[in-house]
Order: sequence, then C-alpha cells, then structure tokens
Amino acid sequence: MTTLLDPTSEQAPGTRERARRPASLDGLTIGLLDISKARGDVFLDRIAERLVARGHTVARFAKPTFTKPAPIDLRHEISTTCDVVIEALAD
Amino acid sequence: MHDIVNLEAAGTPGVFLASTEFVDAAAAQSRALGADPAALFVPHPIQDRSDDELRDLADAAFDAIVVAITARADER
Amino acid sequence: MLPDGLIAVVKRDCPTCALVAPVLAELRTRGTEPLTVYSQDDPTFPEAIGGAIDDRDLDVSFTLDLDTVPTLLRIVDGVEVARTVGWSRDRWAELTGLEPLGADLPPHRPGCGSRTQDPAVAAARATREGEQHLRARRVTLGAEEDDAEAMYDRGWSDGLPLVPPTAARVVRMLTGTTRRPDDVVAVIPPDLVECTVEKIAINAVMAGCRPEYLPVVIAAVEAACTDAFNMHGLLATTWFSGPVIVVNGPITRAIGMNSGINALGPGNRANATIGRALQLVIRNVGGGRPGEVDRATLGQPGKFTCCFAEHEDAYWEPMHVERGYRADTNTVTLFAGEGVRGIADQLSRTPESLTRSLAVCLRATTHPKLPIAFDAMLIITPDHLRVYEEAGWSKARFREELDALLQIDGAELIRGAGGIAEGVPTSLADTTLPKFRDGGLLIAHAGGGAGLFSAVIGGWASGKMGSEPITHEVGT
Repeated sequence: MTTLLDPTSEQAPGTRERARRPASLDGLTIGLLDISKARGDVFLDRIAERLVARGHTVARFAKPTFTKPAPIDLRHEISTTCDVVIEALAD
Repeated sequence: MHDIVNLEAAGTPGVFLASTEFVDAAAAQSRALGADPAALFVPHPIQDRSDDELRDLADAAFDAIVVAITARADER
Repeated sequence: MLPDGLIAVVKRDCPTCALVAPVLAELRTRGTEPLTVYSQDDPTFPEAIGGAIDDRDLDVSFTLDLDTVPTLLRIVDGVEVARTVGWSRDRWAELTGLEPLGADLPPHRPGCGSRTQDPAVAAARATREGEQHLRARRVTLGAEEDDAEAMYDRGWSDGLPLVPPTAARVVRMLTGTTRRPDDVVAVIPPDLVECTVEKIAINAVMAGCRPEYLPVVIAAVEAACTDAFNMHGLLATTWFSGPVIVVNGPITRAIGMNSGINALGPGNRANATIGRALQLVIRNVGGGRPGEVDRATLGQPGKFTCCFAEHEDAYWEPMHVERGYRADTNTVTLFAGEGVRGIADQLSRTPESLTRSLAVCLRATTHPKLPIAFDAMLIITPDHLRVYEEAGWSKARFREELDALLQIDGAELIRGAGGIAEGVPTSLADTTLPKFRDGGLLIAHAGGGAGLFSAVIGGWASGKMGSEPITHEVGT
C-alpha cells in the first residue's frame, strides 16, 4: 500500500474530493441508477415520483447486474445526460 | 459504490443508497478506493419488504437524498 | 540505556564472529558479570550461546557507533568504559579480566565491517530518521488505487503526470537545503497559507526536481510571494501571464541548467521542473487553480513552467549584475510574463539598424498603441549580441539608444488614431510617451549560437498596478 505526503495546505480531506454539487436541483436532470437487486425498483419508483412531483426531470437507468460495476458506456451515458445521480439499493 | 466514485470522478455528483447491513462494507470500499462518496443507509432488510414498506423507506430517506446531492449553504 | 557488564555485537555473516562464538560461551560460563550479545543479521546466531538479541534494525549498533564486528565493550552505569574490535586474545583477556581466554583460537583475527557501515543501510536509516521529522499528513492510497491516477483524482496535478511524493523521496529532496523542514518560507496566495520548506519539498518531488534544485525553488517561492511581485494578482488576472524565472550565478552551472539551445523549451530537467515546482506550490499549498482563482481567459503553455538560466559568459553583464548583485551571487529574477514571441532580423549588421528592429517589435507587445502600462523582457541571443559586441556597444549604451527609439508621439497612441478605438486618452495627443516605464524592460541573454533572432516576453500590468520584477538571492 502506497503512502504519500500531502502536498496541499491540508485544508481539504485527503481522500478524493466529491464532485461539486449544485445549489439546487431546479432545472436539472436527475439520474436514478437501479443496481438491479430485487425490490430496489419499488424504492426508486417512489423516489422518482417524489422528484417528479417537485417538478424535476428524472432519467432511469439500470445496471445489467448488481454484482459488477456499471459498464463504461452506461456510466458515460449517465454522466453526459444527468446532472446528478442517485444509485440504489444495495442489500 | 464503484459506480458513484466513477461518476463523481467524471464530475457528476451522486449518492449511493444501501441497507444498514452495508455500513461496514461501504466504509471498507471507500477506503479501498481512496474516496469518500456520499452514502445513505436505510434499515435492513429490503428484499422481504412489502411495496408499502419500501415506499415508506423511500419517503423517509427522500430529504436526506436531496441534501446529499446538493451543495451545503457554505459551498454555494 | 545500555546494560551494565559486557556487551558483544556480532553478525553471522562474519567468520571472525563465528570464530569467537566459543569464547562468548566461555564468558557466559566462567564470567562473573552479565554478557549481553547482539546480532546484526540473525538472532539465532551464535548457536553456542542460544542466540543473541535481535539488532537487525541496528538501533544498538548505531547507538554504539560501530565500525567493526565483533566488538566487545564494557559498560559501567550505562557508560562505555572499554572497547575492543575484532579478535585479540590479549585484549579480550584484558577487557574481561579472564585469563586464559580462547586458548584454542589463534592470537589475532581482524573483524568484519559492521552493517552500519553499509552505505545503503546508512542511507535507509537516515531516511527513516528524516521521515520522523516530516509533519505533512500521510495520505494512504486505497489498495485498488493506481498511484499516478490517485494524484490526479486528488487534484494535485497541473495536468501532467507527477512523481509520487513518498516520505523517502521527500527526505532525499530535503537534503538539498540546509533549512529545517518546518521553516516557514512564505505565505502562499490565494489562500494565504503559511508554506514550510517541507511542503515545497513535497511539491518539488512531484514536479520532478532533484534535491540540488531545491534552494532555487525555495528562492522562487520567496520572490513570488513578495507584495511587490504580487503573485495573488498575477494568478487571478484574466491576462496570459505567469511567473517567468531567470536564474543567475554559479548555481546554474552546478545544477546543469540550460542557457543555450532551446533554453526556453523542453529537454532540461532543471529548467523544466523548477518552474513547475513553483506553479505546483501555488496550486497545492496556495489553492490557486485554473478556473477557480486563476481566471486567465486563454492562459499560455508557460504557465506549466517557465524557467531558464541566463548565458553569463558574454559581452554584456548579466541581469543580476545589472540589478545590483555580484556576479558570483546566485539569484532568481521573477517576471510576470506571457508567451514568448520571436523577433527576426537576419540582415542588420549595425547596432543602429538592429536596435530599430528590436524597438519596432517591442512596441507591438500588448498592443502597439498601449504605452507604459505593461513591462516586457527582451531576450537577446548570441548572434544578435555579436552585432553589439563588434560595434562596442555596452548594455547601458544599448538601453539608452533603445529608450530613445521607444518614445512615441501621443498623437499615434490616442483613442481613434489609426482608426483603432484602443489607445490612450485623447488629452495625451500632444505628449510623448515611453513604451516602457522606468525599469519596465528587462534584458536577458540566452540561446543557441546560431539564429539571427531574439525574443520578447510580454509582461503584465506594471509596477504598483500589477507586478514588479523581483531579483532575490538563492540561499542554501
């Protein structure tokens, strides 16, 4: 395992920084990524309902299998068509 | 977890939802990826829940999901 | 605290130590005082006494400052009072007070080198000790992370690959300076964070520097962070400019900097990495990142790195001498510069003609109708300097003649003149204005021996409005 010395002022966390978040979801496209585990779709259906009720745009995606990371093409599609993404539901 | 870390790396902020059974696994995975992705946990188990129970879990988590994918006031 | 009594330090990989193993057993059985045995390479050795205390990390051996094994010592109240190295029957008998001792052995046998004398071992230990003094946060990468990718992911890179800043590399980098790692060098904009020698060393490692470059990097950071140079404003401006570093003095030869062919281009490690290290310090310690505080409209490739040595063995005195330093003083001169622009003149054989050529090209920097507000650096190459040398024009004479040619009639500069809206206020129509303010034109000498070209690096808002060029001595 590699250990490096932090070259920064150490005011930010040492882990990868999260992507910059929008101030609000208004006018944004929200991706819902179903990991394809049983019953997760019911949960995501409800989240979608709530988001649409608030006037947001929702785009639905599903992984081929929950056992592997999403294929690169799917990731690319999500990152180019959505502003934020919600992934569910691991159990 | 990999998916959210990869999507965040591509600039798309995200949140990952799992059951409380995954708290430790998510922490270990975060360490392995050197990342700190947003994760929310709903009460375990999931797969034997009724539709109504699952919708209740979604409603209970909804506000926290919105918070996880939007900026805090001091980040705006 | 060393144990009282006798101490012996041995290693298996030493025939003399194997030879004295029976003597150590003899001391254990016959002696009246405790015998403590340490092994440098294998604690199961010597089998004759059931093994030794493990000193494979050499803590005891370094404490005793050994150069030979076996070494036999007598300790009283934690203090060494006697020592003998190798095997000598007489000396061992004298030190232990036991006689006869080792009767079956030859009278003398020289010892072997202590493992502490192995250069690789000594270097590794120095690194371990050095690491303990480093205060930077340790960032442990994930088991699945690639180190090159991990540094990009954390936002540490200028876009080019970085050398991973491991503690061992940073310790080696710090050997390039006499300054302590926790010395504060400067307050780095835009976040105004105190920057230590250690943080500069970390970024210098990432930039690809060798340890001997570190004093130059430190001097560049110090110069950049002066109020007069105004790194904060230079970072934040929408203009193209970034810090240009000119290095003078014997250190340029000592660390192998390039002042000749392609001096402003790629290929020389010192030129390339010193300039990059300064930019990485501003990015990582200061928090100055493109698109955030760095608002450059276009930027320019010199913002990755722009550093060169002046060619000092020349007819004109070098820049640092012109600016008041002794020729044998090492300095950095920082200039807020934009891109490098070529000036061709392959026909001028007289200094008068060549100076007019240079003047008309210098006038075009920033905009031909904008005087005074922006500085510039003129870089004269050997082929052009030869014209002045042959005519006997000193640098001062050249400056004087050039200044005269850069006095511009206000009527040519006012807004609307030439059908161009850009320009100075119309109230200045009846004045004469210099292209550069006093001290606003730096002159350097560099480049390969062939090519009747020189170059100009345009500046940024000059003096108190923007940035003042700074010459700063390089420390140790």
